[in-house]
Amino acid sequence: MAFSRYLNGARGVLRDIVSELGGTFSYVSVLGTDVRSLVVRANKNMSSVTEGRGECGFVVKLHDGKSFFEYSFDELPDDVASLCKKIIDSTKIPSSLADLSISAEAVADLPAREDFERTNDFSGYSDSELLSVCSEISEETVSRDKRVLNATAIIATYETSKLFISKNRELSQNYGWANGILEVVFKDEKTVVASKYAYSDKMSEIISQMRELVGPVLDLAGHLTRATPIKPGVYDVITDSSISGLIAHEAFGHGVEMDQFVKERALATKYVGKPVASDLTNMRDGAAATVSAASYFFDDDGVIAGNTQIIKNGILVAGLSDLASAAQLGTQPTGNGRRESYKRKAYSRMTNTFFEGGDSTLEEMIASIEHGYMLFDTNNGMEDPKNWQIQCTAEYGIEIENGKLTDRYVSPVVMSGYVPDLLASISMVSRDARVIGVGSCGKGYKEWVRVSDGGPNLKVKVKLG
Amino acid sequence: MTDIDIKKMLDGCDAVDDYRITEKRTESHELFFVRGRLETVRSTDTVDTDVAIYVDHDGKRGDSSFSVFRGMSEDEAEKKIASAAARAKLVFNEPYELPEGAEFSGEIENDLSGLDLKEAAGVISGAVLSAEQQEGCSINALEVFVYRDTVRVINSRGVDKTQRITRADVESIPTYTDEIGSFEIYHRMHFTDLDTDRIKREVSKKSEEVRDRSIAEKAEPAKDVTIVLRTEEISRVIDELTYGLNYADVYTESNRWGIGDAIQTSKDCDPLTVTMKAAVKGSDLSAFFDRDGTDLTDVTVIENGTVKALWGSSRFGQYLKADKPTGLLLCYSLEPGSLTESELERSDYLECVSLSGLQIDPFADYLGGEIRLAYQVKDGKRRPVSGITFSTTLSGALNTLRLSGRVVTDREYEGPEYMLFKEAEIL
Repeated sequence: MAFSRYLNGARGVLRDIVSELGGTFSYVSVLGTDVRSLVVRANKNMSSVTEGRGECGFVVKLHDGKSFFEYSFDELPDDVASLCKKIIDSTKIPSSLADLSISAEAVADLPAREDFERTNDFSGYSDSELLSVCSEISEETVSRDKRVLNATAIIATYETSKLFISKNRELSQNYGWANGILEVVFKDEKTVVASKYAYSDKMSEIISQMRELVGPVLDLAGHLTRATPIKPGVYDVITDSSISGLIAHEAFGHGVEMDQFVKERALATKYVGKPVASDLTNMRDGAAATVSAASYFFDDDGVIAGNTQIIKNGILVAGLSDLASAAQLGTQPTGNGRRESYKRKAYSRMTNTFFEGGDSTLEEMIASIEHGYMLFDTNNGMEDPKNWQIQCTAEYGIEIENGKLTDRYVSPVVMSGYVPDLLASISMVSRDARVIGVGSCGKGYKEWVRVSDGGPNLKVKVKLG
Repeated sequence: MTDIDIKKMLDGCDAVDDYRITEKRTESHELFFVRGRLETVRSTDTVDTDVAIYVDHDGKRGDSSFSVFRGMSEDEAEKKIASAAARAKLVFNEPYELPEGAEFSGEIENDLSGLDLKEAAGVISGAVLSAEQQEGCSINALEVFVYRDTVRVINSRGVDKTQRITRADVESIPTYTDEIGSFEIYHRMHFTDLDTDRIKREVSKKSEEVRDRSIAEKAEPAKDVTIVLRTEEISRVIDELTYGLNYADVYTESNRWGIGDAIQTSKDCDPLTVTMKAAVKGSDLSAFFDRDGTDLTDVTVIENGTVKALWGSSRFGQYLKADKPTGLLLCYSLEPGSLTESELERSDYLECVSLSGLQIDPFADYLGGEIRLAYQVKDGKRRPVSGITFSTTLSGALNTLRLSGRVVTDREYEGPEYMLFKEAEIL
């Protein structure tokens, strides 16, 4: 999909809105979004080819020298003055509330005009081709093993156009991303559900990855039917890239979202410039740091995408900010202002978050463990930026005994503890690293955005239960 | 482009056998406070229109859906309809009927419905910020959302139904700070009844709990621990048990349990009886009908620990030959049990107050979670503890569980205030 024709046609009206509201507010911007999604799915009972969750609308952001105001709408007005009056009316609050307003610094509106595009090959694949791929993969998975009750193959594409206009800036961007999922319901000694994922900005790669998932997902399902609960305890652990990413994301990423600094909700505020992890640890976040699920050219505040070094050799270097939190902290925004959609507020959010590679090989790391586990595949996690508790759930683990991976699987595995203890325990880091482009992240329990995370294999000591 | 415009286009389209249009208009007013100061004021006025079209071909039924945006031209809408019809022809699903014609318009009655959204947001934020706080406590972050949703479902079989609900979503972060450190817990409220006294009571209680987190000690590792869960976590357990009983999961064989299966096998526990419901008083998830326009019908899905019925959408209900599909039900009630307050007072247990998130896996038979704050009750003494995790088997928990006799409501949940189970391990 090329850049949205609808947004292109809206430029004039949006400039008029910025100009009209500029008479009342010291800062005015408007973000237009046009996100289209296609979801193709097949299993042995049913199939579908349908649009996924998209969005098309606008959000105005205003600053009056004190507080911020936002107004979300989805219909371009015939009468700009009338809409602007409605917007201004919405910002009028009782004096009892107005008296409580913050006094944030003026927002910089540096000149910039650019159109960004990252092309993809999605339009080269018809609906019927994608459905055939999903049907074939589902049928192959079911036919390979009679213990498979069902297998669902899904391919989803997301194509995003965004337009940002303020008095001095006019930016547009257009990019795509795709995910694939193969999920099997498998019955042997017990019934289990096992999944594997594909991700890329190229459909050709998604299809190729999906076809290669059949064997691994069946192998995993077979092992999960015999998996046992783990005996709770503190273990030497090797993480796969997915679990390394989960640690990066939950253990530290949320804690350096700088809107939490403003709210005094982040313990990290007190640790900038200080050690927070073993000196083998290097961690980054940025929409421009790699090409993955959360790679864009500018954020939802119109700030150019960043590549922020968060931890360097174990020292906390910097956090991630949106426009409003940077204005309150007197810092520069880092390109991390993100919204769930044009209907929701922008917050400081992670994008692509990952540990950087080290010097070890995975084989050396496994060989170094007398008894422990290697953990695989993120299930979920929960942050605690104020008190640095962490809970991360892996889909499964494989026992390591005398320096070798065994055939003994445990599932599920909940990893918990105190973040600095966990990060200080990183004793080996693999050379190879991978960013997993299938994540979804909430702030607390809401405001869901697509993210990626990952990194190398890490050797840590952590509580499993 | 409005739902009426798109209806006219669909009525005149030969390629489409049936259609359903779901339009949701949401107006909101939102206030964001940072350490008691007002940082951001937001308002929204948006409409989401989702259109599903159905095409019968080769003895099968195909469907495909798409969104209609208000900025969409008639040309673009026509292309979307044609594209969806072509997609539906690629799909060979078993036939099913759409809900048949009925007109309805109703509002989920509550105290918020008559209020201006701005006024309601102001009253709610005032209640939170004026609630009595323990010394050293504050609300470091407060977000107040007041929404008015109007949902209209129209289909080609004569359904034209509208329901309106005004609801509030409040996220507050109570924080306690002293010379040792600063501590917080997460607190969220969803409601449709504006009860400022209840809001203040809940906020004050959280203030006491966050102060207790500051003095919480790490509990010693132990086995055979009795765990007590409160309503938020009980609701998670019930949600996990009932979700897999929906028609769609059963049809695709993704369910852990089916009709006739015993979820509990022991006689030494309070048996679970769960009813999926259209509405719970004060819940923002209460509804008259679902996204297909199917009228919602309450159904008891688990009775005395055994699965008795399924629930879910009209389409998958028809696939499973359900007499009358229940519609997608979002609320539930759990029958009270035999656990009395005096019995609880005599027991030793760990009462979970704040968890990172309860982890439940019916397939792997797992129940556990990282505890941010719990009260360890031993020999009648109560001390706050933190930094521990508990784990057990789900089956073990279900077969030892006891439910309190007192019934409360918490969002979609109506049922016992406490759930107790035995033989967990803490580390």
